[in-house]
Amino acid sequence: MTETFISWGMDPNWAWGVATICGILLIALPLMLAVAMIIYADRKIWAAIALRRGPNVVGPFGLLQSFADGLKVFLQETIIPTSANRGLFLIAPIITFTVALLAWAVIPFNSGAVLADINVGLLYILAISSLGVYGVILSGWASNSKYPFFSAMRASAQMISYEVSIGFILIGIVLYADSFNMNEIVKAQIGHGFGLVNAFGFNLLLFPLAVMFLISSLAETARAPFDLTEAESELVAGYQTEYSSMSFALFWLGEYANVLLMCTLNAVLFWGGWLPPLNIDLIPWFDIPGVIWLFAKILFFFFVFSWVKATVPRYRYDQLMRLGWKVFLPISLIWIFLISGWLMLTRYAA
Amino acid sequence: MVDLTQYLPILIFLVIAVGLSSAFVFLPMGVARLTGAHKPEPAKLTEYECGFPAFEDARSQFDVRFYLVAILFIIFDLEAAFLFPWAVSLEEIGWAGWATMMIFLAELTLGLVYAWKKGALDWE
Amino acid sequence: MIQLIAFYLFATIVIASAAMVIFARNPVHSVMWLILAFFNAAGLMLLAGAEFIAMLLVIVYVGAVAVLFLFVVMMLDIDFAELRAGFVRYLPLGALVAIILAAELVFAVGAWSAGGVDLAARAAPVVTDKSNIQQIGELLYTKYIFLFEAAGIVLLVAMIGAIVLTHRQRGGVRTQNISAQNRRRPEDATRLVDPGVGQGMEL
Repeated sequence: MTETFISWGMDPNWAWGVATICGILLIALPLMLAVAMIIYADRKIWAAIALRRGPNVVGPFGLLQSFADGLKVFLQETIIPTSANRGLFLIAPIITFTVALLAWAVIPFNSGAVLADINVGLLYILAISSLGVYGVILSGWASNSKYPFFSAMRASAQMISYEVSIGFILIGIVLYADSFNMNEIVKAQIGHGFGLVNAFGFNLLLFPLAVMFLISSLAETARAPFDLTEAESELVAGYQTEYSSMSFALFWLGEYANVLLMCTLNAVLFWGGWLPPLNIDLIPWFDIPGVIWLFAKILFFFFVFSWVKATVPRYRYDQLMRLGWKVFLPISLIWIFLISGWLMLTRYAA
Repeated sequence: MVDLTQYLPILIFLVIAVGLSSAFVFLPMGVARLTGAHKPEPAKLTEYECGFPAFEDARSQFDVRFYLVAILFIIFDLEAAFLFPWAVSLEEIGWAGWATMMIFLAELTLGLVYAWKKGALDWE
Repeated sequence: MIQLIAFYLFATIVIASAAMVIFARNPVHSVMWLILAFFNAAGLMLLAGAEFIAMLLVIVYVGAVAVLFLFVVMMLDIDFAELRAGFVRYLPLGALVAIILAAELVFAVGAWSAGGVDLAARAAPVVTDKSNIQQIGELLYTKYIFLFEAAGIVLLVAMIGAIVLTHRQRGGVRTQNISAQNRRRPEDATRLVDPGVGQGMEL
């Protein structure tokens, strides 16, 4: 993009700056639009599974429902409880939303189409997603109310527990890709299975990791069946109970942006990102822009997320912790041993 | 080599993202004052409770297991931190480096087994 | 130019937020300032070219250690006004520690510029085209094996210590035995009987 601006006769430094800001807006604004549409899609999918109609009043097929909701909350009064810590109470949604946006800086949308092509892209994502827990803890604590506080404690313990297994699962990917750069990870998947398929997920050794990562990403984003943080029969509305107006909506936006991010990570890390699924040029696979492939994969994973939410009953907290610490953690540790041993025997055998 | 120009977009992104989300939080507060939606009253501003004034301070002490989870998280996070450089330098360090890491993992697995047997991973 | 601005920005925020950690009245605010300080320290590391260390600083300190701090200060029901009252009483002791630390700093800087001790001929890092994660990896698991394994043992001790200190066995709780549940078959639990008319049934 920088070159385009230079060709328009701009100073290279300015061109870079303008191109960067355009890139950021090209990520942030469509992301917010996508979040609005994905909330609508989510509601439609649950409705379809439950044999209901879902939102169908605002706009054609109810497509504008999320925008109507957005306008409504925007015009509402922001209530700050008297007993709350005002500063932290308002900072919490800002943290949640900022963190949800920021992680997208290193996601590759196409070959080389990434805002910040850093060496440690995957670590950056881990670092940013580990900040998400602060939005939750702070909102719960600053509300100074019983239910948000309980919910925040539950949510933070849940998030950090699954971050552990996510960290170990990602090491399997890094071992195979031999890089932390997101673009390199995608490129390492070209022709991964005997030169035929473009995905780590088709590797028998990596497939269990892909499944564990999908489940962990459900838990990390507190989606059903792991949505104990807002188990409404016990905790009212979770850590956002005291919030209203746009600061409430920011939690929603942040949550769905994180869900989208997790879908994207599933697609990028295990299922080939912007690559077409097969490495054969029978149909002109490679002529379809990579962005389309990536978006198709993201939407597929989002559908899986909604599907799971509509069908699977909620876990109990002890079952959730057991799954994280006693199932995923040992298995991912064993898998690190298996994968690295296999690579030592085959790829680095010389 | 570290290409610092790749990090500058992140810094700009951070500024934009913070600005955007602050605007989302503070704009409606202003708008609500203009439209007249802003009408605070004492009952509305109390914290949520099931129809009665709260009996006690919300910030009660909670179970020590939350600390334990946090501590175990730190330890395993550090373990993962040691695995990161290892995962990308496996080719150069060879079998010796691989074996080193396996011993390290065995030490930590020992800790995990201990935690498991002690019941530190149980939530009842 | 931008690097220079970024350096002074990060450095100023680190120092300012570190000061706020001490001056903030509310301990939760203190932890938040501490997190800001960690964050900007990561920025400084990045400027120094240590991107791996910068990310680790965020992952480990901000993502894990500060969460524990936050848990601790949020839960401990301490009367903080009372704690503050000790400020004047401990002032002489605190001042003494501060003076010693300052003297040590001056001493260390002096020793460094004097250049008396040649610490194994400090060599400037060799610039290669490898990322610094790989460079760390190539050294840590070959040349510094013992330090690495020692770190593993420290972590093990920390884990055991944490469990010994905080874990309490609770009596009288009924836990779910999942493997027993999964092993249970319909034959173990149910019985199909066909009682005749008017006959009772033994349970």
